[in-house]
Amino acid sequence: MGFEFNGTLLAQIVDFIILLIFLKLVVYKPLVRLLEARSEGVASNIAAAEQERREAEQLKAGYEAEMRNAREQTQEIIQKATKAGEDQAAEIVSNAKNEAERLKEQALAEIEREKQRAVTELREQVASLSVLVAGKIINKSMTEGIQRSMIKDFIKEAGELQ
Amino acid sequence: MEHMKDLHEVEELLNFWNWPANGTWEMYVGNIHLTFNPTTLIMTWITMLLVIIFCVAATRKMSMTRPKGAQNILEIVWEFIRGLVNENMDPKKGAALLGVVVTYIIFILFANLIGLVPTLSSPTADYNTTLGLALCTFAMIYIFGIRYKGLGYFKHYVKPFVFFLPINILEDFAKPITLTFRLYGNIYAGEVLIAVLLGLIGGWAHVFGGFLASVAWLAFSIFVGCIQAFIFTMLSIAYVGQAVGDH
Repeated sequence: MGFEFNGTLLAQIVDFIILLIFLKLVVYKPLVRLLEARSEGVASNIAAAEQERREAEQLKAGYEAEMRNAREQTQEIIQKATKAGEDQAAEIVSNAKNEAERLKEQALAEIEREKQRAVTELREQVASLSVLVAGKIINKSMTEGIQRSMIKDFIKEAGELQ
Repeated sequence: MEHMKDLHEVEELLNFWNWPANGTWEMYVGNIHLTFNPTTLIMTWITMLLVIIFCVAATRKMSMTRPKGAQNILEIVWEFIRGLVNENMDPKKGAALLGVVVTYIIFILFANLIGLVPTLSSPTADYNTTLGLALCTFAMIYIFGIRYKGLGYFKHYVKPFVFFLPINILEDFAKPITLTFRLYGNIYAGEVLIAVLLGLIGGWAHVFGGFLASVAWLAFSIFVGCIQAFIFTMLSIAYVGQAVGDH
């Protein structure tokens, strides 16, 4: 017989190595894969979030610039419109004034013209009446009675002329 | 004190499953006579089975976004140990060590806690188990040291002076021995005290004193089991880190 030896030690080392190999193959591999996938996922999520934030900031800056532009343009348009309106109003008023002036002058001219015409007409009538009277005086034999009636007529006609 | 039993008797009484607690299994390899402690081996196999069931259950139907239950626990353990390894050495070198030390902490934790179940005993309450684990660490120190430093690894024996050679060699052998007996001593003492509290106090004392003390000691043993599993793992990492590192 050789020497005696407590083999529990060897058995335990073998047991542990078996357990280790089993766990490495069956448990740790998927676990490590999962943890790596998760950390990669987290990293990519963070990167994506960062990217999106940057894009959103760009968009925001763009929109703000656009809005500022729009506000400036609005201001400009309003100013232009106000100015145009004022100009137009002034123009309308001056036009109206001119028109009124013109109408007034026209009316005055008309009155003057009518007056002139009336005077001319009157003169013509006076002249024709005088001619008529003269004709009558010449044509009829003059008596006192006639003369008198003629004067009366003349006066009457002249009175009618008034 | 007729009720007072001796430890051996208590262990016999607690041997509910009729394991060949005092006998040995024997084997002949050539002219070497190998003997085995049956209780330790059976308990180791049960522990291995529980570890495997737990780990397999934890890694089936894993959820990437919402880990829960066993998966969560395993992930926490894994990340915790990975943190320790990365603190002690370059993560690239530590990757190979990580699987071993995670197996250490899970196996030793299960082994320590299984002894607290009445009628069962811890595999780690046998110094053969703890020595086996410590020798694995011992082997890893050399494997990692030589892998990352080549034969230059052995230079550290003559540092800072040649004169330190015997001290350094002694230190190397102290490592597995302290690992072995720290774990073994704590767990074996815990089991003995459980047996003592269960059986050695005679009469009615066990109804009050024995029972309460036993419960308190069980609670403390859970704590001790966790701490010892952590210490064994932590020291293994530190030793390997020392062998791999530059100091």
